Amino acid sequence: MLINILNGLVYGGLLYILAVGLVLIFGLRRVVNFAHGSLFMVGGYVAFAVAAYGGFWLALVVSVAVLAVLGVVLDRLVFRPLQHEDPIATVLVTFGLLLVLEDVVKTIWGKDFLSMPTPTALAGTVTIAGEIFPVYRLMVILVAVLVAAGLTLWLRASRIGLYVRASSVDPVTTGMQGVDTDRVSAVVVAIGAGLAGLSGTIAAPLMALSPSMGSFILIDSFIVVVVGGLGSFSGAFLAALLIGQVHNFGVVYIPWASSMIPFLLMVGVLIWRPTGFAGGRA
Amino acid sequence: MSLLAFRDVDSFYGRAQVLHGVSFEIGEQERVAILGRNGVGKTTIVNSFLGIATVRRGEVEMAGARTRRFRHFTAARSGIAVVPQGRRIVPTLTVRENLLLGASVSRAGAWSIERVFGLFPILRERADTPGTALSGGQQQMLAIGRALMANPRLLVLDEPSEGLAPVIVDELAEIFRRLAAEGTGILLIEQNFGLVRRVADRYYVLSKGAIIETGALAGLSVETLKKHVAV
Repeated sequence: MLINILNGLVYGGLLYILAVGLVLIFGLRRVVNFAHGSLFMVGGYVAFAVAAYGGFWLALVVSVAVLAVLGVVLDRLVFRPLQHEDPIATVLVTFGLLLVLEDVVKTIWGKDFLSMPTPTALAGTVTIAGEIFPVYRLMVILVAVLVAAGLTLWLRASRIGLYVRASSVDPVTTGMQGVDTDRVSAVVVAIGAGLAGLSGTIAAPLMALSPSMGSFILIDSFIVVVVGGLGSFSGAFLAALLIGQVHNFGVVYIPWASSMIPFLLMVGVLIWRPTGFAGGRA
Repeated sequence: MSLLAFRDVDSFYGRAQVLHGVSFEIGEQERVAILGRNGVGKTTIVNSFLGIATVRRGEVEMAGARTRRFRHFTAARSGIAVVPQGRRIVPTLTVRENLLLGASVSRAGAWSIERVFGLFPILRERADTPGTALSGGQQQMLAIGRALMANPRLLVLDEPSEGLAPVIVDELAEIFRRLAAEGTGILLIEQNFGLVRRVADRYYVLSKGAIIETGALAGLSVETLKKHVAV
């Protein structure tokens, strides 16, 4: 039971790191990034490639950095020009990006499943309430908690955090105060993409790498964003915890229905609160 | 040097032209009013240098630099702070955070959050409540305080009296006079002549997107007032 809860937290943690990036990018650019799952996947592959030479920790740093840079490029070439366009245009373009990124990865690494070893320092297990649990999985939970705490602190206590919160609500007024909101957005998209790289990297030792690994987690991330309330960070955190648990209990106890359960949960929450947990802030 | 000058400016929203050859000028430490009824293009003047409306002809000079292309932040970085129509308080930020937002490109100067709190003590009392939880008058004070946080050389006030009780408008008039006396240039865009009379020295009248009259406030005729301003 406890092990199931912990495994739910692991998946919820990965979802949170991914979903909060979606929330950040949507907040600043009003773009629903369908390519976010692909960024997660690319993050995993970059980490895989670097880990073979420099080990897991270097891979982690490089993957986050590469994805952050990719984020800046995406922001300048895609999100910024699209922010005032019809939403269907952004859906099409970011969906197109998803396909392109998957093909790039297939070209470089092929279609076969790859596996990345768990870093040796975290390869052990601990015994929790009489049951064995991998240390690495505990680290994933810890990373998600640190990301949540770090982001909250950054948004609440730093000057640029203030600009981020202001621009996500009223970019024109924020700009009028002298803030270059395009630059703020570039930073935010870089962080969102970097977090996708982080999520992809720490997920890599847990799941087989494949070019389509981003697809299913992207759908769960969208569910997290919608259930949490579009644009809400704390809502995304709660929703990720919930979806992580629901997903995991579904897989263990009712496997035939497990892929349906997050959707049913989303429908239920939307009937109860049409704007999600953080209702009204969207 | 002009703090702000429009020279023969045409401004558009998309294809709709709102300003037709507008020219005016405000020098350092001047107090100037632009008068005109609703819908004549007063706010479009502000929107033209905030990068909301598009300037297609003519030029705008800001603190010595001439341009026709504006980003939202251009004016603030030239020492021009705007108290916009409708106040535009950011609803998810507290009163204190709204004020700090105003200091994002602050020049060196006397204004600090403490001094703003001294000017508007109610803002100190409500520093940690959401900005939009304030009353209309208090929100106007917040918008003015936010503009002052930038230590501007020119304060542009777009219909600051809108929706406020006369007693609060009196208070604002007093504050604008004090700011002007301390050397801040003031551009007051208004149709409330009671406020204009107490703040400005010079005026322009805007009608159908064009400046049709200008002069010293003392020489403003009753006919012009009746025709172009609500008294």
